[in-house]
Amino acid sequence: MSVTGENHAHVSTYLKYALVLVASAAVLVLLLPSETGSPEEAQARRDGRTVITYWDRTQGFEHEIHKELIAEFNRSQDRIFVRALQMGWRIEKLLTAISSGAPPDLCSLESSALASLAYQGCFMDLTDWMEQYSYLQTDLFFPHTLDSVAIDGRVFAIPSMNDSYCLLWNKALFRKAGLDPERGPQTLRELEEYAVKLTSVDGSGLQTIGFLPWVPWDLTHMWGTLFGGDWYDKAVGLSTAGEDPSILASLAWQGSWQKDASDPNPPPYALDPDLIEAFFAGSMGGGAYMSANNPFYTGRIAMTVEGEWQSTFIPKYAPNLDWGIGPIPQPEGAPPRGYSPGCVAEGIPVSSRHPEEAKEFLRWFYAPRAEGASSPAGDYCYLIHNVPTRRNEATEERFMGDPKFRVFVEQLLTKEVVPQALTPATWMMVDDIARARELVLFDHVAPEDAAMQVQEKANAELKRVRRLLERTAQ
Amino acid sequence: MSPGEKRNLRNGLLFASPYLVGAIFLTIYPFAASLYFSLTQYNAIAAPVWVGFENYVDLFTRDAQFWKALGNTMYFTVFSVPLSLALSIGLAVLLNMNIPARSVFRTIFFLPTIVPLVAIAVLWLWIFNPESGLVNSTLFTLGITNAPGWIADPEWAKPSFILMSLWGVGTAVVIFLAGLTDVPRSLYESADIDGAGPFVKFRHITLPMITPTILFNLVMGLINSFQYFTEVYIMTAGTGRPADSLLFYALYLYQNAFSYLRMGYASALAWLLFLVILASTSLVLVSSKRWVYYHGE
Repeated sequence: MSVTGENHAHVSTYLKYALVLVASAAVLVLLLPSETGSPEEAQARRDGRTVITYWDRTQGFEHEIHKELIAEFNRSQDRIFVRALQMGWRIEKLLTAISSGAPPDLCSLESSALASLAYQGCFMDLTDWMEQYSYLQTDLFFPHTLDSVAIDGRVFAIPSMNDSYCLLWNKALFRKAGLDPERGPQTLRELEEYAVKLTSVDGSGLQTIGFLPWVPWDLTHMWGTLFGGDWYDKAVGLSTAGEDPSILASLAWQGSWQKDASDPNPPPYALDPDLIEAFFAGSMGGGAYMSANNPFYTGRIAMTVEGEWQSTFIPKYAPNLDWGIGPIPQPEGAPPRGYSPGCVAEGIPVSSRHPEEAKEFLRWFYAPRAEGASSPAGDYCYLIHNVPTRRNEATEERFMGDPKFRVFVEQLLTKEVVPQALTPATWMMVDDIARARELVLFDHVAPEDAAMQVQEKANAELKRVRRLLERTAQ
Repeated sequence: MSPGEKRNLRNGLLFASPYLVGAIFLTIYPFAASLYFSLTQYNAIAAPVWVGFENYVDLFTRDAQFWKALGNTMYFTVFSVPLSLALSIGLAVLLNMNIPARSVFRTIFFLPTIVPLVAIAVLWLWIFNPESGLVNSTLFTLGITNAPGWIADPEWAKPSFILMSLWGVGTAVVIFLAGLTDVPRSLYESADIDGAGPFVKFRHITLPMITPTILFNLVMGLINSFQYFTEVYIMTAGTGRPADSLLFYALYLYQNAFSYLRMGYASALAWLLFLVILASTSLVLVSSKRWVYYHGE
């Protein structure tokens, strides 16, 4: 090789090294964390404010409204900046974040998701801190919301949003069937009779369904409690569903709404399963619920169990619908009960890096803006049409002034509410309770056996988890 | 070992280190850890507690859903894998013919496999929508009023997913196409001289000659269908409903691990799935001696 050739070889080698170095540097630059967040957050960081991360369970317009309130807090601050991220309602992300030691500083979550994590000691006990503030006294909250977030009287997250269920009916269909449109069914018998009158079938199938207990979605937990039953016995700390006559009656009653080929005398309100399937195949699929095609809005379902959010949805999707509202009928002799599955609550993970700042935000969120004025928490519920979790806020004129919303609130104010029990196995029980109805309806399992499956599985899991908790505590 | 050999060994290990580090920390360690966790009660937060074979005993003796999930997955595998194989062989043979715009068709059939699984799931949610979906709208137009509820109906849910799985045969088609180009032309020429028709040539030349490709696609199909997860997770919102008809094994495993915080139990489920896949692929490989023909044998 000539000298010039060697020089060329050196040059090309250096060029290769240089290229490798540049490429490596580019990769490293790409790997560096970029500055994230909004311009406001960037400014807050430059100003030396503590930025805390808030995982918001809500999505869509609810999250947007939440963000506006959080922006109000951020504007009022020179010390803290809350960065809100919408994370959805499922537990998985929170679980992995907590177990990997990098949880958010603050999060909102379903009470059913809180249960398993709170028992593992993942959330801060806020009881003593709450007692310092008049507006966070536990007796202000609806008892069932506290039941959903407390273990042995200790509160692990502060309830912020709350649902209430009622029976809604289509007044036009009531008139057509010769029923009083201003008076809904008062008893379970009346509900069944009304359903018969309101259901219409012709040669092409079901035209209108009077009522079905599992529409718009599974309500097995609710029916069990409205029948006077308890899926979980707090005193014993175990599920007693399989031995509770009211739970068994509620499952049998739900099953009675669908004709069973082996039953020669089905009740008059029972519908043929093929007709039900064809009805939903033809008129309601995934996604239709939040649309003008919702069968309740289109008059194809006459009576339905729904929550307070319908007071926003109906004007939005079906502004011409003439609808009535009343308490959900219960069997004779059952204790008067309203229904709320639990609540959404605000909690601080134990390994939060900025717990004091998170508390400061919570204090602002629940505190009245001025003497006698509303709190951001109350405003939030008002703006998204949810029932506030504190009774003094739920009874404000802006909520009770709406005659329909008032009925939703009254159910929680005047009746006992049994939410999903806060146990280490809540999430599993919620799934299994819904499965019990499907076992009865689709697999023709006897209600006693379906409920016993819930009980045995829940109790086995509760015992397993408690054993683990005892061992890890030692 | 001479200094040169030592240097070579060091350099060799250094060059292989990206793989070694990845294999140790991302494959071998999790593999071993999951075996250990499967023998513990573990919730991903507190330290695991040793329980021996309790998780496995519970799975076999107390857990009805485990059997349901296993049954659903078996059902799906038994129908989906052979149907996918038949369809992909058929498509590959058609796309191997001298037809106009052949490469365009090949691209079209391969396209679904590059669509993200989440997008596929959302697309099929719409296709199977009982009211406004493509399938039922077409059936309604044809005068069929009692169309199935598809994924909303326990009886139709699994067949719906089997139908959907056939949409993703593009990868297998490409592999079969490669296999088909490997079949010696001389065999077809000899058959032509003997007066063999297209079916006889397919049955006695094409099919035997692509058996190694069939074996590969069969094994991959088995593994993938036993681990079927993403689409069913998205299309049932992680529930496996209605009536557990779509509770696939991997979904049940996920529910236990991340919804119910039963990571130990989920690890036991994972190890049983591993054994099921190992057994079924071993069975296929052992049987392949009887039906797979390799060139030159």
